[in-house]
Amino acid sequence: MNSSILITLPRYDDATEYLSQFSIVIEKEAVNKNISLKKLEENKVNRKEFEKVINKLNPKMIIFNGHGSEESIYGHKGESIVEFGSNEKLLKERIVYARSCNVATILGRKCMADCFIGYNLPFMFYTDSNWSTKPLNDNTARLFLEPSNLVPLSLIKGNSTFEAHEHSKNQILRNINKVLASNKEESFILAEALWNNYAGQELIGNSSAKL
Amino acid sequence: MIKKDTSKFEINKEIKELVVTRIEAQTPQNLKLSIGSCGNLTKDEVIGHIEKGDLIGRQVVNMHLSFLKAVASGKFTKAISSV
Repeated sequence: MNSSILITLPRYDDATEYLSQFSIVIEKEAVNKNISLKKLEENKVNRKEFEKVINKLNPKMIIFNGHGSEESIYGHKGESIVEFGSNEKLLKERIVYARSCNVATILGRKCMADCFIGYNLPFMFYTDSNWSTKPLNDNTARLFLEPSNLVPLSLIKGNSTFEAHEHSKNQILRNINKVLASNKEESFILAEALWNNYAGQELIGNSSAKL
Repeated sequence: MIKKDTSKFEINKEIKELVVTRIEAQTPQNLKLSIGSCGNLTKDEVIGHIEKGDLIGRQVVNMHLSFLKAVASGKFTKAISSV
């Protein structure tokens, strides 16, 4: 296994479009650190392609963007690309970050990853419809997606999984303080959703693992 | 494909009203909620899911209740004052 990264970037609905666009910074940081990063994009995010790339590249870290359930992570148009009881062994001994709903509940616990960071609750974020065609200008979505980006970014910078997890969760708390201090109509609704992601983000396995 | 809702949990009527009232009062029309695979939901769509009591509706209700419990227990205040 080498210190390369595989990232999935499905883009078939609003949520996956946002996740993929906010992942650009992860790609840039990997380039800055001379770490090989393989992108699995759009309709290539299917089980066959995913398994092929894993077997060929043997990456140390996998970053999943997309929808999820307790037992599965989904790719393009909801195709299950990793599923407990089927191909979860592909995650074994790797560092995994899954920006997907609920996957830490069962898949994350059972897949035998070296370290799995994910969510045991639905991963939520708010978007501002005024910026739906330019997600990276959407500062409401940024409140949610920047802290989640800190997991892979911290790992790429050489931090441990524990440090990456903590950096991310602390940034969520700072963003909660920020929205509450802004005293806007939406302050509490944003704080609630941020709290949901804070409470649901879980590290399973080796907390001292590094890329 | 993404699994269908099989949970039997139902939302208490008073809790449903509490959450809907909070959403109506605190969500501007331009904000949409991304949760699960239902797309980005408007305020009215979120309320519709709560009224129906489907999986998305229950997840939103759970989010509100978890937050209120964390505030009531002091867990929320302790966490946000730690950074």
